[in-house]
Amino acid sequence: MSTNRFQVPVTVLTGFLGSGKTTLLNRILTENHGKRIAVIENEFGEIGVDNDLVIASEEEIFEMNNGCICCSVRGDLIRILGNLMKRRDKFDHIMIETTGMADPGPVVQTFFMDDEMNEAFRVDGVVTLVDAKHVLLHIDDGDEVKEQIAFADVILLNKIDLVSSEELDQLEARIHSMNVAAKVHRTRDAVVDMDRVLDIGGFDLDRALEDDPQFTEQYRVDHPHDQAISSVGIKTPGDLDLDKFDEWLKELLANQGPDIFRMKGVLSFSDTKERYVFQGVHMLFDGRMDRQWREGERANSLVFIGRNLDRKALNEGFNACLT
Amino acid sequence: MLDVDDSMIVRGLLIESWYVAFDDYIIDLAWAPDATKIAAVTVEGSVFLIDDLGESARFKLIGQHDGGANSVSWRCDGAEFATSGHDGLTKVWDGTSGEGLCSLEAGDAWVSKSIYSPRRHVLATAAGRQLKLWNERREVFYESLEHSSTIADVGWNPKGPGVAVAANNGVTLHLSDSSTHPRKFKWRGSSLVLEWSPDSRFLVTGDQDATVHFWYRESGKDAQMRGFPGKVLALSWDSTGRWLATGAGEIFLLWDCGGEGPAGRQPRQYAGHANKVNYLAFQPVGHWLATADAGGFLFLWDPSDHDKVIGGVMLSSPASCLRWCGDNRLAVGQQDGKVVVFEVGSGSGD
Repeated sequence: MSTNRFQVPVTVLTGFLGSGKTTLLNRILTENHGKRIAVIENEFGEIGVDNDLVIASEEEIFEMNNGCICCSVRGDLIRILGNLMKRRDKFDHIMIETTGMADPGPVVQTFFMDDEMNEAFRVDGVVTLVDAKHVLLHIDDGDEVKEQIAFADVILLNKIDLVSSEELDQLEARIHSMNVAAKVHRTRDAVVDMDRVLDIGGFDLDRALEDDPQFTEQYRVDHPHDQAISSVGIKTPGDLDLDKFDEWLKELLANQGPDIFRMKGVLSFSDTKERYVFQGVHMLFDGRMDRQWREGERANSLVFIGRNLDRKALNEGFNACLT
Repeated sequence: MLDVDDSMIVRGLLIESWYVAFDDYIIDLAWAPDATKIAAVTVEGSVFLIDDLGESARFKLIGQHDGGANSVSWRCDGAEFATSGHDGLTKVWDGTSGEGLCSLEAGDAWVSKSIYSPRRHVLATAAGRQLKLWNERREVFYESLEHSSTIADVGWNPKGPGVAVAANNGVTLHLSDSSTHPRKFKWRGSSLVLEWSPDSRFLVTGDQDATVHFWYRESGKDAQMRGFPGKVLALSWDSTGRWLATGAGEIFLLWDCGGEGPAGRQPRQYAGHANKVNYLAFQPVGHWLATADAGGFLFLWDPSDHDKVIGGVMLSSPASCLRWCGDNRLAVGQQDGKVVVFEVGSGSGD
């Protein structure tokens, strides 16, 4: 997973049917932000603005022979973006709108697994729209809505004018229990500042945890359904043994990779002056040494967002890696 | 302009002859069978015919595919050539005048490839998941069922009947006869490029999951080459069908497919490029190999003899396609819109 300034940022827009994706896309395209944006839609809609490009695409998932779902990529995106890369008129930003039923995993993985895509593009973030009025009607129907929430860097809780503030609080708490690292914004008609959805650096190691989303807080909410998808945050002082940590993480991802949607963190290794920052999607892992620790700052903080996470086992496993 | 370090080139057998410059990425080009013309298409959809080859080469813009073009192919008699585009069309052009002859509705999606049979006046078009075969009267006489994904590549059997299609889940060989079921060469992976060995013995694909897959056409037996650093897009067979060249990051590999086949044999490795090798093309008769990398270097190798470059240049921008015309001329399409023709030193390496 390389990073260079020539990589075009990609925003993945997910959300159930009717949650407001098209409204948000229209807003992004008409807003005066000075960017040339290419939109890859799951089907031709009514949007399309001068100077921008809207391309329809039918979801085509390429699974790999090894059977690992973490290696699946979107063939349609590789084809379309591969062609865009060759054009004179470069785009400043790519928006990918997924269908309401789409798994964001293969979309994100495409930019990590495919060498050409990895070189030319970087995922800026996954933005998920949630229909505040109707989400509870279908959140338990299948995995899609929960996975879209779990994958998100930013969640727009949309249509807030249609529900009471108590209902909103409950809903937000429930979302938070599933994905504690995502930033939640409440919106009406998908009205939101552009800098909250574009250039958010959701996969940027430098910005991985700078806003400290308080992910170690324990949320108590009465929604036993969501135990299936949850966040486990770990924050602990002390230094890690590199070898032990490496072994633990490898084993964890080998066994539970498909269930871990996102993870990120900042770690303190013994005998190193620098912070180690990492993030990952399923089994794909990206990490490196970062700037030096400042006085009194040294600590480990990391978060896992996934399905059937065992908070106790994760904490114990991690703590066993401390020197 | 940078120059190639002379110390790694043992013979300067690659000599620029002439070029023409367009202002758009050359996505495909093809020599007319009589070697008097080149047809080229660009990523934005322009179709060019290059005439009067040599230093006074002239070119004309003869048409356009709305949205972009993907491929170009000449009919074996040189009377016409076909281009495919994002507009769902395959356009057929007069091989002499460049006049548009007709537009064939190949499908609703991008036409990824239109390619004439090497021996007959039959045109194969691939649009989305469907393959169509067209006769000389511009009628569809064969239409495939939908493949499991958008068709990634199409290749006519060089020595026998049928046309092979690569897509997700392997290769399908269509025998252009509606009463015969297509033959499936299954593989749970996504094939991106397809190359027949010139003797039709092997069908080989470069795959998304960093592998090369190959099938013995007759038996359907298959095997896989692993360990590539990324998806494999560069493949080329030498004229004998014994050697298969595959790109593998900054090096390329040569697999010995003679006798029992490549299984269990280590490939030969060739280092020299400092950037990813994007294109490989063996001479059609001889056994020299042209290679082009992402940094703009073009090399000529005599891989069966030794592992040194026998010709090399730095292009004004990276190559986007390599097309031989006989063994002595090599046309290179470039990302900056140039089409450059190189003369290759006499003989074919013997």
